[in-house]
Amino acid sequence: MTVALNDAGAVALSDVCGPDDAEALLSLLLAHPGAAVDWRACEGAHTAVIQVLLAGRPALAGPPRDAFLAQWVEPLLSAR
Amino acid sequence: MNEFLEQFLIEARELIEQATDDLLALEEDPADAERLGGAFRAFHTLKGAAGIMEFTAMARALHAAEDVLAAARAGEEPVTPALISDALTCLDQVVQWLDATEASGETPVNADAEADAIVRRFVRVAALDPVAEPQEDRWAQALLSGAPDAAARAELAVRYIPHPDAFLDGEDPVALFRDEPGLLTLAFSPAGAWPDLADFDAFRAQLVITALIASPTAAFRERIAALGEQVDSVELTPQPAPALAGPAGELLQGQLEMLAGAAGDGAAGRAGSAAIVVANVLRRSGRADEADRMASLAAGAAPAVVADAIRQVISGAWAPAPAESHEPEIDPKATPEAMARSLRVDVERVDALVNLTGELTIATNALAHVSAMAAEGDVEAVARALRGQHGDLERLVRELQRAVLNLRVLPLRQVFQRFPRLVREMVVSLEKPARLLTEGEATEADKTIVEALFEPLLHVLRNALDHGVESAEVRAAAGKPPSATITLRARSEGDQVIVEVEDDGGGIDVARVREIAARRELMPADELAALSDVEVADLIFAPGFSTARTVTTISGRGVGMDAVRTAVERLGGRVSLHSEAGLGTIVRFTLPFSVMMSRVMTVEAGDQVFGIPMEAVLETVRLPRDRIVGVGTAQAFVLRDRTVPVIDLAQTLGRARPATPRAQANLVVATAGGRIAGLEVDRLGDRMDVMLKPLQGLLAGTPGVAGATLLGDGRVLLVLDLQELLQ
Repeated sequence: MTVALNDAGAVALSDVCGPDDAEALLSLLLAHPGAAVDWRACEGAHTAVIQVLLAGRPALAGPPRDAFLAQWVEPLLSAR
Repeated sequence: MNEFLEQFLIEARELIEQATDDLLALEEDPADAERLGGAFRAFHTLKGAAGIMEFTAMARALHAAEDVLAAARAGEEPVTPALISDALTCLDQVVQWLDATEASGETPVNADAEADAIVRRFVRVAALDPVAEPQEDRWAQALLSGAPDAAARAELAVRYIPHPDAFLDGEDPVALFRDEPGLLTLAFSPAGAWPDLADFDAFRAQLVITALIASPTAAFRERIAALGEQVDSVELTPQPAPALAGPAGELLQGQLEMLAGAAGDGAAGRAGSAAIVVANVLRRSGRADEADRMASLAAGAAPAVVADAIRQVISGAWAPAPAESHEPEIDPKATPEAMARSLRVDVERVDALVNLTGELTIATNALAHVSAMAAEGDVEAVARALRGQHGDLERLVRELQRAVLNLRVLPLRQVFQRFPRLVREMVVSLEKPARLLTEGEATEADKTIVEALFEPLLHVLRNALDHGVESAEVRAAAGKPPSATITLRARSEGDQVIVEVEDDGGGIDVARVREIAARRELMPADELAALSDVEVADLIFAPGFSTARTVTTISGRGVGMDAVRTAVERLGGRVSLHSEAGLGTIVRFTLPFSVMMSRVMTVEAGDQVFGIPMEAVLETVRLPRDRIVGVGTAQAFVLRDRTVPVIDLAQTLGRARPATPRAQANLVVATAGGRIAGLEVDRLGDRMDVMLKPLQGLLAGTPGVAGATLLGDGRVLLVLDLQELLQ
């Protein structure tokens, strides 16, 4: 599973998250309001996934494993 | 020329043609939103292409035009003839740049002044209406002011608004920026406002991505160009880095002085250490990229290069390293001929060639097998196998010839699409309202024919407008619509291509043609009187004939129509004329679908030039006349133990022989139909490719002659039918 609820109650993103993972991420965030997103094991995220993070602005546990996401995308998601 | 550049030229020319087409249609109907959109998209794509080639002047000029077209699309700017003229002028300028690029293999360097002139046209247009200010760029301005550090180095501002269905279409917009080394800033914003998560549609792209990029890669530019209207980009000029002052500056100056010292042993080492010192200075000043680039010079760069770089750092002109070099490569072999216009070919036709190549390879391999058989000495088997192979190869070569000829087939659109613009100009200068309709642009013909049709068609169109179409008053009196219609049409008929220019003008004034023909003494009066009206009308094709009452700049120099007939006949076609008084004229070109080019060797015999098909020529021999001996009534000579009959070409073809035979005989040894012969000629000439036309009229059926063609100097070249001669 690239998107799953982990033992800590956070939504964990792992490996490369494709466009279909956006829907899964969205429903987990809707089912668990206030849940954080742990993307430390994330090796890449499709724009659709980034878009859900942008719209939902969950608390993030990072940095993601992917250097591009860490350098360019994470700062935009943690800035309020 | 660089392959990139070549592709750019082809595409740019296609886009210009498309944009011109749309603009002209728009002039007819300014409310045509589809044409306006088409023109806008063509300008947008052209701008993107110019960006990819780093041809900033062209991108700037096109951007100005695109802005105004965008305003027109948004209804903020009316579509006026002035706007269309300005847009066409912009395209003219671009064509000039493209021509210069094609000629030199590089984008022109001093195009900025010309670009400024174009930009001013559109600023003027935009200034008439304050609403139409280039709003497009405001986002870029905001982006730059939000990131001053990056702004100093940015060369490109990009705004990417993915289409709502982009995800469903398999696009990953952010991935566009992933591998871009020059990425300076990246930002996201919602296309509208982020909806509540409960209402959020994860499959719909609803964000805007903006970015600033230093030295964008060509691949990146290509990708954004491919995204079309989803991406807007603005070219930026990076600000030079600040000059280094104080102790750092002195340190650099010191390095420079050291490098200026005597060259020789250790110069390279000194240059290396100087580069490292300067790199450290830069790194301490927080200019890491520049430091890296300078450090890269430490290993092996020539002292002069390092000194030059240091001087640039001192003056502040040292720019950050480009990610890769985009300098157009200049191909030293690129001669004007090599730069001849390229040809776009249907993939299917190329595939056919690829398949044939495969089959040829197989046939070649089979030959290796035959040679192995020959080594074993089984002569009969070898002969049998060779016969089979020869048959296969013959078939393949024939198919290859056909496939290659097919590559040369072009639609007539290639030539037709140049005329609407030209007719528009003629209409303006002649003040005769007329419109051009084109039909059958998809009709195909050989490239040689399509490309050679432009001039003759232009002459005919000029004549139709100038002489055929009446003035507006005359048309009104005749009850015709004030605007004339000229139709340019093409169609295939069997092996032939018919191209017609039809006008609804006054038709040919036969009485006037008669009068002029008499005055110009084109033929004796009694012969002229005996001609039918149709034959008289045909006299407009006679050399030196011109019916124009006043010489206009458009036509009327009396070179038009006879030049047309010559040009079409050179292509192996003919021109005919149908005219009805008061109703109009049709000029019809009947052309062969393809031009058969034959390679011939030219020879002279009895003061006439003959062509011998190259495929028949075995060799040329020069030998003392006494080696030619009489055999009965015929003559022959011995060539490598074989007796070869000699045919005196001049005599055989009924030409006069020189009084005294030369001491040395020139012989062309040729073969046809399984026979071999030495053709005695006076002189051997060049090899050339000629378009062979069958003999017509009185010459038809001349024995031993397969066809004729015109030489560049106007002489007639008779191409020999060796099959017949060697019988």
